[in-house]
Amino acid sequence: MTENVAILGVGMTKIEGSKTDQKLDDMIFEATSRALQDASVTRDDIDSVVISACDELDGRCISSMVLATPAGSYLKDEIKVTDDGSYGVILGAMRILSGLFDLSLVVSWCKTSEAPVAEVMNVRWDPFYHRGFGLNHITSDALMAGAYLNKYKISEEIPAKVVVKNRKNGTKNKNAHLQEPVTLDEVKSSPVISLPIRELEYAPESDGACALVLASPRKVKDLNRNPVWLRGFGWAIDSYYLGERDLADSNSLRIAAKKAYEMAGISNPMEEIDVAEISDFSAYHELVAYEGLGLCDRGKAADMVEKGFTEITGKLPVNPSGGLLSSNPFTAAGLFRVCEAYLQVAGRANDHQVPAVEKALAHGSTGFCAQGNSVFILGK
Amino acid sequence: MKERAAIIGVGQTPYKSHHDYTIPELSQQAAMEALDMAGMSMDDIEAVVYSMAPSEFLGVNEPDKWCVDAVGGRNKPFMRIHTGGATGGSAAQAGFFHVASGLFESVLVVGADKVRECTDSQQVLNTIWDPVYERQFGLDTIAMAAFQAVRRMYKYGTTEEQMARVAVRLLQNGLNNPKAHLKGKITIDDVMNSGYYEWPIKKFDTCPSSAGGAAVVIVSEEKAKKLCNRPAWINGCSEIANTVFMGDQMGGAAEMDYADWDELAIAAKEAYGQAGITNPKKEIQVADVYAPFTVTDLAICEALGFCDKGESEKLNEEGFFDMDGEIPISPSGGSLCTNAIAVTALARVCDAALQVLGKAPGKMQVKNVSNAVATGIGGSFQFHTIMVLGSDYN
Repeated sequence: MTENVAILGVGMTKIEGSKTDQKLDDMIFEATSRALQDASVTRDDIDSVVISACDELDGRCISSMVLATPAGSYLKDEIKVTDDGSYGVILGAMRILSGLFDLSLVVSWCKTSEAPVAEVMNVRWDPFYHRGFGLNHITSDALMAGAYLNKYKISEEIPAKVVVKNRKNGTKNKNAHLQEPVTLDEVKSSPVISLPIRELEYAPESDGACALVLASPRKVKDLNRNPVWLRGFGWAIDSYYLGERDLADSNSLRIAAKKAYEMAGISNPMEEIDVAEISDFSAYHELVAYEGLGLCDRGKAADMVEKGFTEITGKLPVNPSGGLLSSNPFTAAGLFRVCEAYLQVAGRANDHQVPAVEKALAHGSTGFCAQGNSVFILGK
Repeated sequence: MKERAAIIGVGQTPYKSHHDYTIPELSQQAAMEALDMAGMSMDDIEAVVYSMAPSEFLGVNEPDKWCVDAVGGRNKPFMRIHTGGATGGSAAQAGFFHVASGLFESVLVVGADKVRECTDSQQVLNTIWDPVYERQFGLDTIAMAAFQAVRRMYKYGTTEEQMARVAVRLLQNGLNNPKAHLKGKITIDDVMNSGYYEWPIKKFDTCPSSAGGAAVVIVSEEKAKKLCNRPAWINGCSEIANTVFMGDQMGGAAEMDYADWDELAIAAKEAYGQAGITNPKKEIQVADVYAPFTVTDLAICEALGFCDKGESEKLNEEGFFDMDGEIPISPSGGSLCTNAIAVTALARVCDAALQVLGKAPGKMQVKNVSNAVATGIGGSFQFHTIMVLGSDYN
C-alpha cells in the first residue's frame, strides 16, 4: 500500500488505575477532543466515526448508545467494531480506501476499575466445555505461558527481564499507569497468580480512552499536511479451542504480520522496522509476539531479550511506552499501541522517543491467548 | 467507490425458539446456505465479519470468538460488528467495505442470536440506557416505541387502529416467508384486543423474541460476474448515529424529531445519492425494513422518501405498502414477524437481496425488482443503517 490512508493526529487520556473523577463519557470526550485538536480539524470536518468498545466491560448492553456522542458521532456515519481497539483502525482504513469517506475518527476506551474483569472473561468461555473450569483471561493466558515454557525450556529470567524492560520504559512515559521501575528480583519473587505467570509478569487493569484521526490522500492534500502514513495492516484469527492451537506459536499473528509486511513492502522486519508497540498482556505474550512477528526464529525470543535487542537502546526497541505491562486499558489497548507508534514516527514521544524512527509497528490482540491479532506498519 | 461489490449468496435458518442448536451451529447453518447459493465453499472466503449485538441475551460474552471455527473463520481476517439492533446492517456494510476497499474479493457476513434463551429480554434491554440518568425509570424498548407512537399521535393524529393495520399487513406477508417466526391472517380487531404491553403498544404491535442465523456472501465485481447471473449490487450504503436521549429529539431545540426519523432521511439521501436514485418512490420497487413495532414501520416509509411526513398512516390503510400495492414494504414479514436481534438487520439485507436476485420464495417475490432497500435500527432508535441493492450497478 502506498500513500492511501494517513493518520493526522492522536488523543489519549492519561492511563490510570481508577479514574474516579471521570465518567466513561468524560474520558471519551477528552480523548476525542484531543485527537481532533491534535489533527487540527473540527468535528464538522469528520465524515466517519469508528468505535471499538466492549459492552460487558462497559457494564452496558449497547455501550455506544450513550458513548457514541462523546466520541463525536452525533449525526455522523458511525459504526462500531467489538474487538480490540486497533480493529477500529482496520475498519476506518477500509472505509477510507473505499473512497466513500475522507476523514474518520477512531475511538476506543475501557474503564476496568468499574468492571469485574475476571468474571466478564470467564463468561466469554462457552457454557458447555470451558466455562466450568473457571477459566478467565489470566488462567487461560497461563496455559499459553506454560506451553511456551514447556516447548522451549527458557529460564524464568527471560520473562522477568521483559517486565523489567517495559516497566523501566514506563517510567519515562507520563501517560502510563504504572510509572515505577521494578527489579529482576522483585519480578521473580512476586506471587504466582496462575502458574507459571507471576503478578508482575501480568498486565495491570487500567482506565483509559484514546482516539485518532484517519484521512484520505485527497484530504491530506487539501489540508496541506505532512502526516504519518498507515503503510500496511493485516489481521487474522485462530481457533477458539485452545487444544486446537499451538499456544506457544501464534499462527494468526504470523498471518496478520505477513499481510501487513506485504502491504508495506517489508521483507526483513528486524532490519526495516525501527520501533514496535506490542500487546504484552503478559511477558510471555511479548515473547510469542517476537516470533509471530518474524523478528526472530521460533524459540529464539529469549536470545532477543538476552542480547538486549528490544531495549529502548537496542536494535529494535519494543514497547518504549512501557506497553501493557505498564498500562492496560483492555479494549483500548491496541488503539493505544497504534497511537504510540504514531507518536514515535512523528517524533513526538517525548521522553520515551526512539531516535530516527522511519517505520513503526503496532500490534493488537483479541480473544483468549491472543486468538486474534492485528498488525500495523506506520511510516513517514 | 474503489471496487464494486455485490451480494451473490443469502442464507437464513428458520427463526423460532432454537433449543436444538448452539450459536455456532446456527451461524454455520446460515453460512452454508449462503455459500451454497453463491456456489462457493468456506475455503473460497477470504475474510469473515461476524454480526453480534448484545451478548447478554445469549449469556456468552463475545460469542463471535466461539463461532470462529464453525463459520470457517480460522486463520482468516475476522471481526465482530455490534451497533445494537442495527448490527446486521452495520455488519453487511463492514463486509461491503472489505470488498470496496479493494483488499478482499470474497467476504462472508454471518451471525446468529438466541434471544429466546433469555428469560426476560426487556430486563436486559433496560441496561442499554444510561446508568445515571435513564435506567432507573425502568425504560425498555417497548417504552421507546410507545414514546414514538405517542409522538406520532400528537403530531399526526395517528390512531391505534392505523398502527394495527401495519401488523395485519406484516403478519400476512409473513405467511409467504417459510423462515418467518410469527405469521398469520389477523384483523385490526385482533390487534386491538391483543392486550397492552405499554400504552399504546399492544402485543401484536410488537415483535417476538426469536432465535436464528443469517448470512450473506459479498464479492468483488469480477467474482460476481463470474459466479452469478443476476447479482444484487450494493449501490449505496450509509449509516447515522443520533443522540441516545429521546427527550432531545422533540421540542423547540430539537434538530431531529422522534416521530419522523429525519436522521434516517439524511442517511437515505446519502445512500440514494451513491446509487444514483433521485426519485425513490418511482425507482425503488421494494423495501425490507427494520420495524420491530408497527409504529416504526410508518416512520421509516416516510424517512425513505416513499411518502410525505404524516402520510404513512393513510397510505398504509389504502394498501399502498401491501404486496399488491405500489411499494411493498417487508414482503418477508420483516422484524415484526421475526426478531433475532443480532441478525434482524442482516435478515433485512438478506430479504432485500433475495428480491433483487429473484430468489425470494413463491409469493414473497415482488415482480420486476431493479432496486431494493434494506434498513436497520439500533439503540434508542438512534442508529440507522440503509443499503440500496440493485440489479445493475451504478
